[in-house]
Amino acid sequence: MQWLMRPVPALPIIGSFADRLLLADLPDLPPSDRRLAVDFVAHRVDNLPSFTRFGVMVLGFVFRGLLAVPGGFGVAKVLVKLPLPLVAEYPRLIRSLAFAYVWETWPNTTATGAKVAATA
Amino acid sequence: MSMQRATATMDADVLIVGTGAGGATTAAILAEAGLDVLLVEEGDWVEQGAVVPFSLDQMDRQYRSGGVTVALGMPSIAYTEGCCAGGGTEVNSGLYWRPPGELLARWREQFDISDFDPDDLLAIADEVEADISVSTVPGGHTSPSEVLRRGADALGWRNGEIPRWMKYPPSKLASEPRSAVGERQSMTRTYLPRAMKAGARLALRCRVDRLVTNAGSARSAVTTLGDGSRGEITFRDVFVCGGAIQSPALLQRSGIRGHIGRTLAVHPTVKLAARFADALNVPDDVPVHQVKEFAPHLSFGGSASNPGLVALALLDQWATFKHAITQWRNISVYYAAITSEGRGRVRSLPGLKDPLVTYGLTHRDRELLRSGLGRLALLMLEAGATDVYPSFKGAPVVRNRRDLATMQGAFTAARASVMTVHLCSTVPMGEIEGKCGADSFGRVHGCRNIYVNDASLLPTAPGVNPQASVMAVAIRNARRFLDAGGCRG
Ligand SMILES: Cc1cc2nc3c(=O)[nH]c(=O)nc-3n(C[C@H](O)[C@H](O)[C@H](O)COP(=O)(O)OP(=O)(O)OC[C@H]3O[C@@H](n4cnc5c(N)ncnc54)[C@H](O)[C@@H]3O)c2cc1C
Repeated sequence: MQWLMRPVPALPIIGSFADRLLLADLPDLPPSDRRLAVDFVAHRVDNLPSFTRFGVMVLGFVFRGLLAVPGGFGVAKVLVKLPLPLVAEYPRLIRSLAFAYVWETWPNTTATGAKVAATA
Repeated sequence: MSMQRATATMDADVLIVGTGAGGATTAAILAEAGLDVLLVEEGDWVEQGAVVPFSLDQMDRQYRSGGVTVALGMPSIAYTEGCCAGGGTEVNSGLYWRPPGELLARWREQFDISDFDPDDLLAIADEVEADISVSTVPGGHTSPSEVLRRGADALGWRNGEIPRWMKYPPSKLASEPRSAVGERQSMTRTYLPRAMKAGARLALRCRVDRLVTNAGSARSAVTTLGDGSRGEITFRDVFVCGGAIQSPALLQRSGIRGHIGRTLAVHPTVKLAARFADALNVPDDVPVHQVKEFAPHLSFGGSASNPGLVALALLDQWATFKHAITQWRNISVYYAAITSEGRGRVRSLPGLKDPLVTYGLTHRDRELLRSGLGRLALLMLEAGATDVYPSFKGAPVVRNRRDLATMQGAFTAARASVMTVHLCSTVPMGEIEGKCGADSFGRVHGCRNIYVNDASLLPTAPGVNPQASVMAVAIRNARRFLDAGGCRG
């Protein structure tokens, strides 16, 4: 269990799913900004309290495995809609961290992730 | 000032673990009485102004685990803890509520707390108010604050400005007449400098992993320093002031049992985002008005509302709420907070650095959250909100009273984003050992020289912002320790 607690960095485990999720939610967010948002999410996951981090990493493995099979992202999207509390928390955590980052960093971002010129 | 690098071996008459509202006040009282005091703090010293309030940068530098901490349950409750010199007092909203006298009397009766005279505590509150410059905002309030006043006035609900521990430099007020220019009189501005002036030493980035105990006495603490190396601190007495999550966790890691960590009490909070015709968002400050018509069970106030936090408030129903995000300047976030009957637990698990925290809401808590969110949405409509976005899965946009009924029907606490910043009661004080972790003055039951002196001691969540209660109780206990000849034994 210890190896899931700290030494393994979160990015390789959760990065691909977080990237797909953000691409689906914010299709117009420039890829470089999406990468920054994913890095931010991974950094936060690295600093989660031990128990929560353990849970997130286990779910990260499951979802990473799903992405490795064809159609896996679709399956993942169905899975998170099922009334399985901890499973649904996983994309929610990723979204909440990423959205907080995106709108704090680039406040003039539209709901699809596009940048608009700042209004006074 | 005597800030020092934590070293592998340190010693003191009194070790104080944690520098928040409880630890800083304890240090000032004991150091000014001439005791040799060493304060240790897991976090760093961050000057005010070095980070933007309520920003992600602040969360990285001044919150535990970047502010992403959760009490597991159905629903889970997100909570935050400060982790820096000054603890929660550096990051909080600065809203000051002296402990209600009736509540203090009830605590005394229900937990059998000796010499716990409400008048004495309120006299200490007077001192604290002078020390940390508790004051109202000079000049006008921000628009998000006015929304609360306007909506409550329209409904005839009791409301008012809550004073804060702030100084408002006249030079800044002249150029920017609003509350955001206030300088928070947190512990790094007040009690910590006072303690250090009196000779207390402060070691930063030093975490106490456990106390080495033997038959109810502790003589040393095992620490981890900022560079990951281990250290040891020897002392005669120790005050554990790590806050309501970390204090019980440290005691448990030290093998101390009893009534520790079993009765976490919080003010669970649900939120909504309200959109208005005109721009009103203030990204770096919170409203100072609160609505107390249904207090102490239910209170309304305003939350930090930078664009990232507005996005978070819309997240639960993103599919239908997301287009509002481009209007964040016209949006502010508000909360309904309850006093909970439910309780939580803090458990240290072998091999894990952080404790497992759980919380269970009762049926009454869930109903109160539902009615609270409904009433808050009504208040927003009365204040002129065009659209109200409640933070729960399946929520409708509320634009009129009919939508309100739909919203109330759709709400369940399990679908809501419940959070809290008020954590209390994990080592409640009092003489009843079956329900108290520490005695009437904070000494851990069954221990000779281990004291707790922070939010953990409050017997219940007070129903008002708790920092004033934490400080008054901590000062009382520190004085009692001196009166009882502490450290000379
Ligand atoms: C975002 C936020 C907003 C709030 N707003 C308000 C408000 O407006 N008004 C109000 O009255 N209250 C407010 N509060 C609550 C208030 O801040 C707390 O009640 C108060 O700070 C509790 O004091 P404490 O001494 O118990 O713990 P804290 O202030 O949390 O201090 C504990 C300190 O101990 C350190 N520590 C913990 N464990 C260890 C260890 N093992 N070794 C070394 N150091 C350790 C921590 O890093 C921390 O710095 C708010 C809190 C937050 C987080």
